[in-house]
Amino acid sequence: MKNTFIARNPSVLWFLAALGLFTALVTIASEATGAGLISTSFVKTLGKTLCLCLIAIAMDVVWGYCGILSLGHFAFFGIGGYSIGMWLMYARTEIIVTESLAGRTIPATPQEVSDAIGNQIFGVVGSSEFPLIWAFADSFWMQMAFVILIPGLLALVFGWLAFRSRVTGVYLSILTQAMTLALALYLFQNDSGLRGNNGLSGLQNLPGMDDVSQATVSLAFFLASAAALALGYLLFAWITDSKLGNIIQAIRDDEARVRFLGYHVESYKLFVFTITAIIAGIAGALYYPQAGIINPAEIAPIASIYLAVWVAIGGRGRLYGAVLGAAFVSLLSSWFTGGGAPNINLGFYTVQWVDWWLVLLGLSFVLVTLYAPKGIGGLFDKLVRKS
Amino acid sequence: MDALNGDDLMNVKSKLSLSAAFCMGLTATTAAAECADPIKVGVLHSLSGTMAISETTLKDTMELLIAQQNEAGGLLGCEIEAVVVDPASDWPLFAEKARELLTVSEVDVIFGSWTSVSRKSALPVLEELNGLMFYPVQYEGEESSRNVFYTGAAPNQQAIPATDYFLEELGVEKFALLGTDYVYPRTTNNILESYLQENGIAAEDIFVNYTPFGHSDWSTIVADVVELGADGSQVGVISTINGDANIGFYKELAAAGISADDIPVVAFSVGEEELSGLDTSDLVGHLAAWNYFQSAESELNDNWVEAWKASMGEERVTNDPMEAHFIGFNMWVNAVTDAGTTDVDAVREAMYGQEFPNLTGGTAVMLPNHHLAKPVLIGEIQADGQFDIISQTTEVPGDAWTDFLPESAVLTSDWKDLGCGMYNTETETCVQLTSNY
Amino acid sequence: MRRLFLSLAWLMAFATSAFAQDLQSILQTHAEEVAKPSRNSVGVVMDDLVASGLPQTTAFLEQWAERNIWQNDETGSFFIGIEDGDDLTLTDIDSGEETSVSADGYSQLRPNGGVRRVIGTALVQFQLSDPDPERRLSALESIGRRADASQLPLLIASLEGEDDAAIRARKEQLINFLTARFGENTDDRIAAINSLSKDTSVEARAVLNQILATEVKIADALPQDDNVADVINTLSDHTAYYAQLVDADLAPAMVSSGDVLAALEANVVEGRVGGIPLAQLNSEDARNAAYVELAAAGTVPPLVTADDVTATLDDFYFYSAYDEPDAAITDAARAALDSVETRVGWSQFLDLSLDGLSLASIYFLAAIGLAITFGQMGVINMAHGEFIMMGAYTGYVVQLFVPDYTISLLIALPLAFAVTFGAGVAMERLVIRHLYHRPLETLLATFGISIALQQIAKNIFGTQARPLTSPEWLSGALVISDVIQISYIRIAIFVLALIFLCVLLYILKRTRLGLEVRAVTQNPGMAASMGINPDRINMMTFGLGSGIAGVAGVSIGLYAQVTSEMGANYIVQSFMTVVVGGVGSVFGTLAGAGLIGFLQKGIEWLNPSNTLAAQTYMILFIILFIQFRPKGIVALKGRAAAD
Repeated sequence: MKNTFIARNPSVLWFLAALGLFTALVTIASEATGAGLISTSFVKTLGKTLCLCLIAIAMDVVWGYCGILSLGHFAFFGIGGYSIGMWLMYARTEIIVTESLAGRTIPATPQEVSDAIGNQIFGVVGSSEFPLIWAFADSFWMQMAFVILIPGLLALVFGWLAFRSRVTGVYLSILTQAMTLALALYLFQNDSGLRGNNGLSGLQNLPGMDDVSQATVSLAFFLASAAALALGYLLFAWITDSKLGNIIQAIRDDEARVRFLGYHVESYKLFVFTITAIIAGIAGALYYPQAGIINPAEIAPIASIYLAVWVAIGGRGRLYGAVLGAAFVSLLSSWFTGGGAPNINLGFYTVQWVDWWLVLLGLSFVLVTLYAPKGIGGLFDKLVRKS
Repeated sequence: MDALNGDDLMNVKSKLSLSAAFCMGLTATTAAAECADPIKVGVLHSLSGTMAISETTLKDTMELLIAQQNEAGGLLGCEIEAVVVDPASDWPLFAEKARELLTVSEVDVIFGSWTSVSRKSALPVLEELNGLMFYPVQYEGEESSRNVFYTGAAPNQQAIPATDYFLEELGVEKFALLGTDYVYPRTTNNILESYLQENGIAAEDIFVNYTPFGHSDWSTIVADVVELGADGSQVGVISTINGDANIGFYKELAAAGISADDIPVVAFSVGEEELSGLDTSDLVGHLAAWNYFQSAESELNDNWVEAWKASMGEERVTNDPMEAHFIGFNMWVNAVTDAGTTDVDAVREAMYGQEFPNLTGGTAVMLPNHHLAKPVLIGEIQADGQFDIISQTTEVPGDAWTDFLPESAVLTSDWKDLGCGMYNTETETCVQLTSNY
Repeated sequence: MRRLFLSLAWLMAFATSAFAQDLQSILQTHAEEVAKPSRNSVGVVMDDLVASGLPQTTAFLEQWAERNIWQNDETGSFFIGIEDGDDLTLTDIDSGEETSVSADGYSQLRPNGGVRRVIGTALVQFQLSDPDPERRLSALESIGRRADASQLPLLIASLEGEDDAAIRARKEQLINFLTARFGENTDDRIAAINSLSKDTSVEARAVLNQILATEVKIADALPQDDNVADVINTLSDHTAYYAQLVDADLAPAMVSSGDVLAALEANVVEGRVGGIPLAQLNSEDARNAAYVELAAAGTVPPLVTADDVTATLDDFYFYSAYDEPDAAITDAARAALDSVETRVGWSQFLDLSLDGLSLASIYFLAAIGLAITFGQMGVINMAHGEFIMMGAYTGYVVQLFVPDYTISLLIALPLAFAVTFGAGVAMERLVIRHLYHRPLETLLATFGISIALQQIAKNIFGTQARPLTSPEWLSGALVISDVIQISYIRIAIFVLALIFLCVLLYILKRTRLGLEVRAVTQNPGMAASMGINPDRINMMTFGLGSGIAGVAGVSIGLYAQVTSEMGANYIVQSFMTVVVGGVGSVFGTLAGAGLIGFLQKGIEWLNPSNTLAAQTYMILFIILFIQFRPKGIVALKGRAAAD
């Protein structure tokens, strides 16, 4: 079975080999192993990029394979990040608070400990009480479960409502966009209990691991992200290769016909929507400890649109295309805005990429959609087929 | 620390006038000293995205200040080089860029951030790598990091004096606290609510409202504020409304015919820069509280404004965070000179007690809690978009932990003697050495 | 005796000389208060100035409030000064002699708003009968802001000679207000109060509320001599009322958990407190038990338990009593206020509806262009918001060249339409035309255009918000009462939305173009075979939709801010307006905008302190709404409704 799966999908092997090689190279060159060719901040960037690649393949499955243009998958990504972030903040603060209360003659009551933690976490937003959603923040395993459960349940409920009402096409896109906007606006409120606009910060400092250097931590997260991407890639390659995958693609091409053939289209769509949401949640849970901070702006509708653009540029309907698109655009973007690209002096005007990069990016979306609808992956395919 | 003497003042003035001359196109050559590595100053201000509107000005300020310093002979015999990065108003990028500046570019100091969340994003990195950052914007307090110098106003240097002004000078009896929904207005309003209640204003006489960033539909809120006066009390508005949203707010106030004599508004986030976006004729008489206004009358300020306009254009205005960078940068230069090195810990020690003249007159002093002692100014908006300074206090020492919230009243910060930024005076213990982000 | 006489004589001499003084010397005795006046300290100066009876006092006070008083830095004397460049035209306050000097060495006095109000009040008695109606009005304004009993006779006296009808009416109104509050005769006051029972103005309600001002008092029995407003039920908030008893020294202070902790820490004996080992003190109960032990030993004050609190509270009455002792007057005021409040409630509802209508018309204007491109053509134009922005910037640029706001607005509206019409046509020709069979991809392409346009605008106009100022006749508000008012700009936007609704309906239903548009919408192939050029129609439709966005941009810029990001704020709202209303129908968009506008205002009213929450709930509502009416309020039927 496995042989045939690989035989049918040689690209999976190629991809895993390339990812493995890349991971090995980065590991060797990183500061953690002593070579120091790649700075810790760049390892973090690469690790984050891998997480973006993971959510991009999820997006590719839901859009490129199933034809649902979801403009809300970053909401699931963010929820994953918030879930893990709550534990990271709580556990880190708990250690600090326990230490500072330890010196007292009279032992602290559990209430005092909890008040002190609450004050440290929510003092920033002028509050000190734990909201209900933090009920399980002290438990690593519960919060880890939430990384999967909350995006999964939200996608299930939202998808069930939407698909049941036969909301399709553009309407569904706008509906998913409304969902992520509602979530972002909700989180922006201070009353949401997740520190409003400030979000959760200091996530790169793992609780109880103060002695471990950030070089090591970031490499560990980089490796974890690579592993997650590899597993996610295998999972999605397997799903899209199976009979299930065929039905999904048939739904994309002609939903009505599949329905008339007797398939319960809604269940298939719901399955794809939910599983990709869960993978998005996992990607987010890996991403934000590397970014160090999560706040509602991350969930704003524009993030999800960017996600769609990555997939479009990379090439829909092929998983490696999504990976290429996400990695290419996000790395290029940080190169240009980071001042890496040299400014062009036109004599009468100096093109500063900090100012003009977005214009270039925007126009390239247009060009890609018009002239390369299959994206970079499409060009890649042509090359492979020619050789 | 040596007190400010006449030479220092002369030095500043000559630097300012020199660079003004330089910027106006007169050629002047720099005496580039022999130096292996230039001293690097990181500038971490958003040049794109939503905050670019405010932060780009600060980047320009830093470049001007560095040019001026190089003009005056650099620092420790070295040229100063600005390393400008763009965190693009994306908060996680502040952490990433801060790390890049400290580890890849290896800058000696960072001047940067505007929003609290961007500062909180960069904080863990600064503390981990023992970097040094100067933060130039008025903020909500409740923080004192070993690695950050806060040159903007703490609440007791802006919000509390302005509220006192409302209570004592204008006799305001009912307060509307209007703010944009994020941490600075939230915390400031919490402090003010508690402060007002201590001063005998009943809880039901305080109306609080939060609106999203860029809010434009103000008619209902303005009507609510007017309605507050229905019991015959004098109503006053304390506005922590941020950025663009102010324009819609003031337009609605003007349309409703509310003059500053009926319902005065004091704003903490409206400066010269924000007013350049609207017609101020209807806003005359409304107030703003800052530590600096462009209209401040001092020779130093005249020179600074002149240098700024010469390099940026006649229509550009100066504002409070620019002055904060002006003081911060010059203090850092003096601290480095005193310490004879750019090593962070040595400079930090040398910073305490460092004095530098304010652009508004008087002298700013760096306190051991990493905040400045600065005067508080209250200005009335004039028709030309400038402020008429109607009240100026003596220097108020910045307080990292406010006295008006029960949790933080017991906390104090003293990095010089206690070596702790979050020291509980009741239990006499250091709560933590790092900050709570 | 001799000494007393001497000092008396000296005092007399001083007093007479003070009386004979000129204004300058009175000011000099209070130089500090005059130069740096404060609301609380300036009263002395006012009293002396008014008492002096000098005729030049009025002019001085007026000039002082206008910030035209300057002080010589050296001599400290005060002058009336008018700034003229670097020079100063000084007028001596007593002699009226004019000199021109350099402004150096003189500082301007800047009385703040509070002081100006005090000055205004002091000026009332001089200005009430002044021949200049401006001055009389400003005096009346001062009374309106700060009324006191002494002004009532002055007002009544000034009424006689008043010939200006408007001012006379205002004076009568103020007399009525003042009579209600300070009148000497109970019947007069009640009559005045009753006359206010239909007046919803903030001033009238302020009068009634001030008559009804109460104070909370504590007693062990209800008093007979007080005008009691209400007896307070202390059960609602034990701790707060108990704290009031503590403040009044009527009960022992509560021992907070912090106090308990401190007391325990201070009394540790051999690792125990009150006989309880330290390690066991990690709960509130154990700590209280240990504290009770300490209290029993007399080391600390006893613990106040919850039972103690209720028992103590039971012994006292908390009641609010009117400051006004006469129950007849407070009853009348209460009745009047109740009747006013009902009216105010209705007025507020009306005002809120107006706000909702205004918001709906803004949403409609922002969304209607999208309704055309999205509804008629099925094209998702993510750059629609940027067309709104382009329109607004067009308005700004026109104002740079045409300083007259009315003319510039008249130019800007059609120009904005033309500019965005052109941009829309260009975009349709260059990009969208190629993507008609791939609707989801137009979303991406137009999104690309949107971020490019936004950034280009930023590069050209900078990141600062730009002013777009409305003409004089659009500033201000239509005031129906103090409660119901709406700004003229909002009315103008409403009218504009109405015009566009009509024009659009006319074009779509009554013109050949509209017929062709509808034909192409329903079946492009068939339309083409009937001799309609679908290319041209698509181009025109897209241009029309974009052009309207430009006009919307100008009007939005007039009441809010013009920034490169303003479009992004409207795009999602606009999409939702269109989808909720029902795609492909102008009336649908109208219904959608109406629903969203009124709903948002309704939610805001329920939760006035958090506008963000209102927006969140509104979007949640929209999501749910679409689940149940996927095709929107006005759903097209039949084949045209197919995707």
